[in-house]
Amino acid sequence: MGRASRRDLLFLLVILLPLVVLVAALIYYPALDTFLTSLTNENLRIRRPPKFIGWSNYAKLLGQSEFWTVTLRSLLVVALTLPLELGVALGLALLLTEVFPGRSFVRTLVLLPWMLPPIVNGFLWGWLLNGEYGALNGLLYQLGWIDEYVTWLRNPDTQILWVAVVQTWTRFAFPTIILLAGLQSIPTDLLDAAKVDGASAWQNFRHVVFPLLLPSFAVALTIEFIASFQIFDVIWTLTAGGSAGGAINPFTKTLMLYNYELVFRDLRIGLGAALSYLILFLSLGVAIVFVTRLYNQSVR
Amino acid sequence: MTSLTHQNSPLRLLLIYGLCALALLWAIGPIYWVAVSSISTRMELYATPIKSWFPSEPTWDAYIRLFSGGGQYRGGEVSPTDGLMWSGLVNTLIVSILSAVLVTVLSTNAGYVFARMKFRGKGFVFFFLMLMMPLPIWVSLIALFFLVSQVGLLDTLHGMILLFVVFLLPLGIWLMSTFVREINPEIEEAAMVDGCNRWQLMRWIIYPLSKAGMAAVFLVSLLTVWNNFLLPLIFTRGPDSQMLTVVLSLFVGQYEVAWEDMAAAAVVTMLPPFIIALFFQRFLIRGMTLGAVK
Repeated sequence: MGRASRRDLLFLLVILLPLVVLVAALIYYPALDTFLTSLTNENLRIRRPPKFIGWSNYAKLLGQSEFWTVTLRSLLVVALTLPLELGVALGLALLLTEVFPGRSFVRTLVLLPWMLPPIVNGFLWGWLLNGEYGALNGLLYQLGWIDEYVTWLRNPDTQILWVAVVQTWTRFAFPTIILLAGLQSIPTDLLDAAKVDGASAWQNFRHVVFPLLLPSFAVALTIEFIASFQIFDVIWTLTAGGSAGGAINPFTKTLMLYNYELVFRDLRIGLGAALSYLILFLSLGVAIVFVTRLYNQSVR
Repeated sequence: MTSLTHQNSPLRLLLIYGLCALALLWAIGPIYWVAVSSISTRMELYATPIKSWFPSEPTWDAYIRLFSGGGQYRGGEVSPTDGLMWSGLVNTLIVSILSAVLVTVLSTNAGYVFARMKFRGKGFVFFFLMLMMPLPIWVSLIALFFLVSQVGLLDTLHGMILLFVVFLLPLGIWLMSTFVREINPEIEEAAMVDGCNRWQLMRWIIYPLSKAGMAAVFLVSLLTVWNNFLLPLIFTRGPDSQMLTVVLSLFVGQYEVAWEDMAAAAVVTMLPPFIIALFFQRFLIRGMTLGAVK
């Protein structure tokens, strides 16, 4: 099959042209348009034609304390979620590489939460943590660990902690799969050799398995960084409140919720568009730093 | 990790099963509890401080209320949610199935083109289609909202389908081009020698031979659309177009529906993904991890 013949060209065009047009019209054009909007003072609450104001929206956001509070909170969600999630994932991956009857059954069930709607997960955990009738209270009470029911989600300072727990529950299956694949690619003779040399299980893990897992960790960390940095659905049903036009709970307001609020509640379109682009640069930047760091470490 | 030839000692096996029990409590416990909540009687569900972990008189009442009269307020009055569950379910079914079918066919065609054909600008077109995949959706979302409302596709099912297809295409094309590459090219060459044109080739060779890949793309797309919340939240208003995830979020926030009815609504919303994940996990994992890792 050398150069495309005329009939092949027709085949190509019929297949690719509609896709290119659709992607251009519904992704590229709006992305560009959003960027241009971010340079204007468009606000649907105020009836006036939008005016070009340069980088003012960006400067306004960067000079505003709410932007930094929300950004730091998003990073806090990441900082709480990633260790928890990767810890759970590493434990599960080590458990599931063991050979035992019923392993595939356990694996199928353990990986399930990842495939459920995150919006349901927020509700699921909200109900589990409910202060009046919640199952967690019932369980801890019956175990004798608490004397009376606790309203877990009431304290604004710990709400974000629960957000991280539910985000972990939603996503831990993905890093588990990545680490499982990483573990399975480690040649068994390498481990046997270490064992013959008298390495303990811990030494074996620390000096043989863990270094070889670093590339898998890099992949999992990057993907999960982006996922938890852009958290939205879980918070929406867990702690955000704010339906029926009410105010969104400020204590778990992360970047995505802030963006939603700016655009679809406050109708400050220009400012919201600028925030979208700031989020893009923040997530890209951190992802790049993450990958290069871990990549260098695993190569060195 | 332990080499496969060793037999586990009974003690080690005991430890493994203990850890498995913990893992299952963590992963499945919350799902179990919401399922139990949806079939418990109100008396049992609201019992404190000792919860009943197994419903003694399981009942479908919550489901019947949910789909006939609408859920109940916690105060006991009937909420104005009649029909929302039905319309949400029907809308979600239509949008997710049609989007998944379209994505599968379109990306199999495009995947074949990228895997097998040579033409000028191929690299550029592929890059053009893939570039936006990893970027946060918000970058397009704001202007997209105004565009969609200008062309009258706001609050419509075909509008939702169009959006989902476009956002799922890059992943689908990526996956299908890797699947088509795994087909033995000699089969296609033989068919071309026998006088097949490209369309016949797709119909008789490529589709049948990439069934597994198409199934993966179909299932991943179906699941993604079913589980998505942000797009229907922004692009739909009212029962004619609202999808199940949005209906559930309304129940949780706005209407203060009784807990057992809400649990039933949650079970309905997650049952199809749950079943797909239970039976087709291998397909899903391949599609979803490839998509995430790239």
